[in-house]
Amino acid sequence: MPINSREESLLEGGSVTVTPPRPAEPVTPTVENDEPGGTKGGQRRRRMSSEKNRPLWMLIPGGTLMVIIVVLPMLLGIYMATLNLDQYSLRRWVSAPFIGAENFVEALTGTPLIRAIWLSVSYSLVAMIITLPLGIAAAVATQNSFKGRGIVRSVFLIPYVLPAFVVATVWRTMFQPGGIIDNALQGIGIESGLWLNGPNSYWTLIIVQIWASWPFIYLLALSGLQAVDHEVHEASAIDGALWWNKLRYVVFPYLKGPLSLAFLIGMLHHINNFTLPFVLFGLPAPSDVEVLPLLTYVTSFQSFRFGLSAAMAFVSLVLVAIPLFVYLRAVKLDDAETPGVRK
Amino acid sequence: MSTSTAIRRDTATFRPGSRRQHEVTRLLPTPLLVIVIGVLAAIVLVPMLYIFLASINTDISVARGDFWPAEVTFENYTKIWTSVGLANGLMNSVLVAGSTAVVSAAVSVSTAYVLVRYQFRGRLTILRGLLALQSIPGTLMLLPVFVLFSSAATYLGVRVIGTQWGLFLTYLTFALPFSTWVMVTYLRGLPRELEEAARIDGASNLGVLFRIILPLSWPGIVVSGIFAFLLGWNDVLFASVMTRPESQTAAVALQVFGSSAEGGAIPFYGQMMASALVCAAPVVILYLIFQRYLVGGLTAGGVK
Repeated sequence: MPINSREESLLEGGSVTVTPPRPAEPVTPTVENDEPGGTKGGQRRRRMSSEKNRPLWMLIPGGTLMVIIVVLPMLLGIYMATLNLDQYSLRRWVSAPFIGAENFVEALTGTPLIRAIWLSVSYSLVAMIITLPLGIAAAVATQNSFKGRGIVRSVFLIPYVLPAFVVATVWRTMFQPGGIIDNALQGIGIESGLWLNGPNSYWTLIIVQIWASWPFIYLLALSGLQAVDHEVHEASAIDGALWWNKLRYVVFPYLKGPLSLAFLIGMLHHINNFTLPFVLFGLPAPSDVEVLPLLTYVTSFQSFRFGLSAAMAFVSLVLVAIPLFVYLRAVKLDDAETPGVRK
Repeated sequence: MSTSTAIRRDTATFRPGSRRQHEVTRLLPTPLLVIVIGVLAAIVLVPMLYIFLASINTDISVARGDFWPAEVTFENYTKIWTSVGLANGLMNSVLVAGSTAVVSAAVSVSTAYVLVRYQFRGRLTILRGLLALQSIPGTLMLLPVFVLFSSAATYLGVRVIGTQWGLFLTYLTFALPFSTWVMVTYLRGLPRELEEAARIDGASNLGVLFRIILPLSWPGIVVSGIFAFLLGWNDVLFASVMTRPESQTAAVALQVFGSSAEGGAIPFYGQMMASALVCAAPVVILYLIFQRYLVGGLTAGGVK
């Protein structure tokens, strides 16, 4: 614990060692080490008593439900990617012909899948990179108390709690040709083209995604700021650090952990986001926003190429698995109360 | 025994600071603070204000891009119940999302309890799985669920597609892992001492669960229920495939109305905005009521 070590070294009269901020584990109450995950440290005696009659059967209702309605369909979905499944064979999918990797080959060569992957990843990344400074700025601005801070914090979260279909419907109206946004831009002398069609639509999607998701970064940045010890503030005040230097060198290091987590979760959500592009642009979507979920959906329920679509869905699972893997390794399943929110 | 929201802890330790204390912890100079908050609040509030203004405006006025209504009319709010089918849609949404919420919150408590308090083989795998399941693409689940349900009609003679039951089962798919994870994070914050005391007094496992855990963890249960509710309320992907007009949820009703209105004539913008507000209202109200509990959960698995 940084505080103790610093005080001790002061008392001893030795050289004052400035302990670097350790965002990873600020002042963790040691009691929590009793959590069942701590197997390495040896079993605690008081838990041994309950060890004998572990009510593992309590897992059965939730476990059974999850296996039936989550795991089974998922495996089935992966299996379907290897079938020649269309609207005729769908009803009798059990006897649909097995065609191995053909769907995957067709998806990669005969459909705009590669482009869809590129669109999904690039739009997610651009949106994420722009939301980061917005969220951090909001968190830093509402960290210190002032009159009305509660209201400001509530307001900041509104876009995040609004349903995506509401957000998309509203922005769709605002971006109509000759609509409010075109009007406003004309007022400051900018002649914009179409927003919901053509190459601009890609940026429309990014703008709306940013509007809807920056509060998530804000939330996680805020949780990172909670970890800044009061002593750290005092130390930098004594040093006379200017606000920018204090932010840059003292406060921001605390945000690294929560924000990398926010980055991963955010990327997962953007890549998986179906509702926003679907409601914003409708079908058929402009080719510049035909992201992976939309392409998969259209292949299934407009072209009725179910096997092909299952192969695409599997590709999106692989794509999502990359950030997901990093995320699962980063999250301490046992120590952290909630990922991102450090104790 | 506070909830795990870091924000509440903050208000406890930082707010009562004196003026000097305040100066020490200050992060931004005041002018900059005002600018940042002002700009961000405008980014959020201007579109919100616009939704409201457009919902009491005429369609022509919205179509030509007016911000202030040409004439104020509340007609839109009376029309949407039948024209958009919002009355029917909202009822279905409440029914489906509500039952999802109740079931997943109820099931998740016992699962989470075992996961938090007992050590067994595969426990970490399950925890990891709970997080991973929240991130599987909806499009991956859509097809197999659809196929399973339609073969229920073929092989068992039970029609699932197009009914509220089908949607309910589907939403459980996503709600269960998430609710369980929210409960896991909540139960971790509960002290063990009460359970141990109850055990010494001779309580059984079920006794502990019902007499100790349930009464203590209702904020967690409410939060996991609300998130399960929102999952169903916000979904368009599954509902668009698996419903018929009579079992449509509000989300699909609005989406269909919005896209069908494109036909030469001026779309019914006013009604669209009014419906959007009506669909958003329950969510925003739930959030405002349970805000202090929800914020912790929002960061838990990052729902949405």
